[in-house]
Amino acid sequence: MNDGVLSRRELIEAGALAGAGALAAGAPDADAAKRRRRRPSRRHVDVVVIGAGFAGLTAAHELMQDDRSVLVLEARNRVGGRVRNKSIGGGEETETGGTFAGPTQNHILELAAEMGVDTFPTFNEGDNVYFADGTRMTYSDSGPTGTAPPDPTIIPDLATVVSRLDEMSKEVPVDAPWDAASAGDWDHQTLEQWINANSASPRFRRLVPAATRPIFGAEPRELSLLFTLFYIAASGDERNVGTFERNFNTRDGAQMFRFHGGSQVICNRLARRLGPSVKLGTPVSRIATAKGRVRVESRRYVVTARRVIVAVPPVLAGRIRYSPGLPASRRELTRAMPQGTLLKVTAVYDRPFWRDAGLNGTAVSLNGPVNATFDDSPPDGSPGVLFGFVGGDEARVHRAKSRADRRAAVLASFAAYFGDAALRPRAYFETDWPGAKWSRGGPVGIAAPGVLLGQGPALREPVGRIHWAGTETSTYWNGYMDGAIRSGKRAAREVLDQL
Amino acid sequence: MRRSALIAAALLASVLAAAPADGAVRARFDTRLFARVPPPGFPAMAYVHPNGRVYVGTYVNPGGDSSRSRVLEYDKTGTLMRSWTVPGQDLSKDHGVQVATSDSKGRLVLLDRTPARALLLDRSRGSFVQYATFPDLAPCPPLQARTDCSPTLEDRPPMANYGVWGPDGSLYVSDFLQGVVWRVPPGGGTATGWLSDRRLDGGEFGTTGLALGADQRTLLIGQGSSAGLGALNPTTGKIYATEIQPDGSPGELRQLWESQPADLPDGFTIARSGNLYVPLAGAANQIAVVAPDGRELERFPGSSGDGNNGSPVPFDTPSSARFLGTRLIVANQSFSGNRDNQALLDVETRERGLTELIPGLDRDPPSLSRVALSRKRVRAGSRVRVRVRFRVSERSTVTVRVERRVRGRWQIEKSLTRRRTAGRGSVAFGTRGLRAGRQRVVVRAEDGAHNRSRRVSRRLVLR
Repeated sequence: MNDGVLSRRELIEAGALAGAGALAAGAPDADAAKRRRRRPSRRHVDVVVIGAGFAGLTAAHELMQDDRSVLVLEARNRVGGRVRNKSIGGGEETETGGTFAGPTQNHILELAAEMGVDTFPTFNEGDNVYFADGTRMTYSDSGPTGTAPPDPTIIPDLATVVSRLDEMSKEVPVDAPWDAASAGDWDHQTLEQWINANSASPRFRRLVPAATRPIFGAEPRELSLLFTLFYIAASGDERNVGTFERNFNTRDGAQMFRFHGGSQVICNRLARRLGPSVKLGTPVSRIATAKGRVRVESRRYVVTARRVIVAVPPVLAGRIRYSPGLPASRRELTRAMPQGTLLKVTAVYDRPFWRDAGLNGTAVSLNGPVNATFDDSPPDGSPGVLFGFVGGDEARVHRAKSRADRRAAVLASFAAYFGDAALRPRAYFETDWPGAKWSRGGPVGIAAPGVLLGQGPALREPVGRIHWAGTETSTYWNGYMDGAIRSGKRAAREVLDQL
Repeated sequence: MRRSALIAAALLASVLAAAPADGAVRARFDTRLFARVPPPGFPAMAYVHPNGRVYVGTYVNPGGDSSRSRVLEYDKTGTLMRSWTVPGQDLSKDHGVQVATSDSKGRLVLLDRTPARALLLDRSRGSFVQYATFPDLAPCPPLQARTDCSPTLEDRPPMANYGVWGPDGSLYVSDFLQGVVWRVPPGGGTATGWLSDRRLDGGEFGTTGLALGADQRTLLIGQGSSAGLGALNPTTGKIYATEIQPDGSPGELRQLWESQPADLPDGFTIARSGNLYVPLAGAANQIAVVAPDGRELERFPGSSGDGNNGSPVPFDTPSSARFLGTRLIVANQSFSGNRDNQALLDVETRERGLTELIPGLDRDPPSLSRVALSRKRVRAGSRVRVRVRFRVSERSTVTVRVERRVRGRWQIEKSLTRRRTAGRGSVAFGTRGLRAGRQRVVVRAEDGAHNRSRRVSRRLVLR
């Protein structure tokens, strides 16, 4: 697979090289030395962009529209970053990464429209499934709890906790959550601690991870309360206050729309506009700043530029060598903000059989490995596609298993929610984002207690001629495609102000 | 499938329709939500920079808070771009900043509540430097109005409120509480009283907006109230006018307009027509339109009090207005602290604002002329060296791009940027790496103030 899934050998190598600070440069064996006899090509541009996901491509596009020369260096052999299409035959595509868009995500919706990519509504006719300890119930998401299950044992806590989180999130400035009046208090506790102190139902407390695993790829104990509140505040835009419901729901929420041909088509078309300025298979090993210039080094290219935009997640940005070194706060941030642990698992069926039973393919489950599912079928429902998220502890447990065991466990989850027909897919595949060398997890960088207060301001703060983009740096829809596009526009603006 | 696609299209249209559509004709006073202002909120003044972006500071929370003030940057569509946290504030006291104006280098001029000072914010570096301080004046002796003391009935601290540049580079700043207009000398320093008048004593609701007229001599001064009993009716606000005289001293202060009781007129702005748009931050919650001769022409919304302007956010202590094209960007402070109403509103006026005077700001783009290509064969091969000759009117950065048409779009094949002085110049490049066929060379010049010439294009055919 060209997505750079790490082999054991690569992991060992990468670990050793990271110590030496050279992720991209392999061990100097004789063959590699021969291959590298060709000197890297030298280029000079106004701006180098590192990373060809939504953030990097958007930044490059903005800069080019302003008549600046740009070179985009992408480590993978494809564009899209954490957004990737996979063919399921018959000319149909499904997404193994970022999939959905929703109201207030105007930047991704506008970009899709500009690239000629139409949207269609996520299939949402019929009931959702709620599964808890062997008991299955169906419900409509048009009820007061939305996508969250109307389980009578949890409803009092659900109502109280969600409304309190929404209210508290209003006090969090999306541009500077570390400046919230209660930031000190909220960033010194985990979401789990706060939930335990503010809910009574043990079952409700078990539902919370079922939400945080798909949303963050993490357990509530791994998340700072302040970070969670920021994420809720960011689930909106400049005109609409962020809410948990908009983040979590399909109806009027972040899962409302999908893209014809898959979301990666938008990136592909954007990259096509950039033409030869996008260089694939070009991991960057070093960024050096001197004499009013920045020098970006990779095996294939050595590029000098006036500015560089690093449009990769903090964890990957931390694996590049910098000369002079980064300030301590930025360096610590790249260590303290790991990506979530998330697997996306997909089963393809001849038809979306669950629809026959009046189900829309959405399930929320207290039990793993799959805690949430969605109907990912093409617009005409042929073939039927179900995908699910295996995140946090469930991902850690099941990543250690064999692929066959994992497949069996995932399909057993699907069968528990939608019936035994789910056990017989015509195709099954999974995307292990934590194992992807150039992602190292997903869907987003997460912050444990103390990180936002300590290193949060370093997220966007330029370091000399180095600017930072990527969805983790976004004020709104942080962790989403929309946030990535926003960050690319912002970083381009920062650079243009300097050129 | 078709039905679902139609539903999606309709939903998407409704989502996208939430954003103001550029180019759509809007009715006068059509009001939209530009952006909500995140905590700590209380936006008192939204400044429209010559670069077309909007800057707003978070101002004093009357209920008190310990959050540092921030300056937020929005693009013209209301998208939040960046923010900066203000250093050095005394968080134990009332604190907040207003972005008053910008200087010739594009730096923002911030007026800080505590300490009473003006700061320059360099947006590209994120650095703050102190530009001016505003002294705490002692009360003037009875019946004396001097500029080195405060003419107010009660002794109050300084509170720099609005600022405008004078033609000589002085910065004029209103003081909300001390009954004076300050003058900060060119280059900054300690402000000195320029105008002191009993009519500027508004008690706790004093001198507000400042604007320089089209003649660049007339200074218009807003007064929230006359609660200090310097004018006949203490409950009404006023707009006064005076001149910056050739020797720099103020002329006679004359009343141009008087508001209704408890209107509390605040940071007004001037249209090219000379009309004044005056936010009424008091009980009215309206925008008043005042003709150049002082006649009140109209108010929006028509009914006073509820602030219902047809947008999701009513006027709630509208504190300032600035033109962004034909739109007024109104800062909705919500003095009562309703977080939902602390926002910037976008009010269509169908007329343009008066261009702000910023001394030393270069607004003229360089001109590019006599653009021609010449080519010279390099050795015996097929490669050639292309030289682009041109004439540029001022020292500029010249960008030369070679573009090729791919699938109906021009795609950049090569790009060069060179600094050139005024006069004749040239930029040369080799054709190595360029494909054969028709291309075009696009040339553009940009001066140090980021003003750009028009693009000039020439055809280039490579064999």
